[in-house]
Amino acid sequence: MTAPAARDLEDARRQKLKAQIEDTARKGGALVFGVADASSFDAAPEGHRPEDLLPGARSVVVVGGAKPRSGDWASPNFRHLELSTTSDRVTAMAMKLAHLIERELGYYALVVPPGVDEGQQPFLSLSLAAELAGCGTPSLAGPVLHGEHGFVYLAALITTLPLPADGPPDMPVCPAPECIDMYEENGRTPCTAVCPANDGGCLDGRISDGRWVERTYDRARCTARSYNHWIPSFQKVLADTLDEPDADRRRMMINSTLFTRTLWSMTYSNISQGQCFECIRVCPVDARSRELK
Amino acid sequence: MSYFVDPETYEKYREAVLEMSNSVQINLPEHLPPDQRKPPRSDAEIAEALDLDEATVREIRCVAEREYYGLEEWQKALEFKERTCRGYARQGLSFVTKKYVKR
Repeated sequence: MTAPAARDLEDARRQKLKAQIEDTARKGGALVFGVADASSFDAAPEGHRPEDLLPGARSVVVVGGAKPRSGDWASPNFRHLELSTTSDRVTAMAMKLAHLIERELGYYALVVPPGVDEGQQPFLSLSLAAELAGCGTPSLAGPVLHGEHGFVYLAALITTLPLPADGPPDMPVCPAPECIDMYEENGRTPCTAVCPANDGGCLDGRISDGRWVERTYDRARCTARSYNHWIPSFQKVLADTLDEPDADRRRMMINSTLFTRTLWSMTYSNISQGQCFECIRVCPVDARSRELK
Repeated sequence: MSYFVDPETYEKYREAVLEMSNSVQINLPEHLPPDQRKPPRSDAEIAEALDLDEATVREIRCVAEREYYGLEEWQKALEFKERTCRGYARQGLSFVTKKYVKR
């Protein structure tokens, strides 16, 4: 067999394996699926690239789905979305694919842990992985948006199995055409209007030629909103309580609604991960994917 | 260093560490075309620039991120979400766009 013919055969084999993995993902409920080249994570800091987590890494498989239901977005009670996180379903989907790759195909596969390390950093940026795998592009607000499905929960696995990479989308999903129109008229987009960094919110940015060319994100304030009842509020109430000399006031703080609700959310952590969705709630890209009668 | 960073070191380097890390996200990589991206410095890179060890930088950053806003910001968060969620439920996207998209 000639060298080009052998290459063609190998390419066909890899395409077939990729199709097998995607088919398993789709049957498991994946709305989006893509593959990134493990060597393409140049934008990630050292220590947070695929090879740092799995020696010999060749591909990063990204799956997404389990998005909030349209009714969740329509509810007037913001607490509803806070208690409806379904990201663990997508992580379980990635785990299933990892089993397939290891047990049936014979290659190492490592599901990127959904948590953070001791420095509060993700082991691998799912946002960057999703972009490099063609599963969408990061929005100004942060979450990756898929062109058709909008906001989805994501998971990634790193594998030594060489697969054909999809590569980043040609055009960013954010800003949407509606956002560009609004920005050209008043300098705001729906997300920067609802949560403006210069007026007590988290976001700001500048659009030029239909693309974001500057971006400001107040991560600390976003933490207060998205982890409203979570580890940071636990630490703050605890520190304030220890500083409080008055026993009666300490009792009010320990039994307060904030502290009690925080303990509840930490107990049921798998459904309470994200606690602010207001920038994505008003996102036209995502709104298009959840319009119902 | 011991497991906990000493307060003097923390106060001395707090602002510099926050500035160099991705705690203040100005033009973070993922949100811009590749040629315009400005990646934040890692803890190791900050440590080298400030002549500290990496673990000390990590401790300073994590404590500073937690202390950045006081507890009142958590109360404001509840008020913000209550207002915006109900506004969207009532008016849809026109709650913020005013006229571009109807629910």
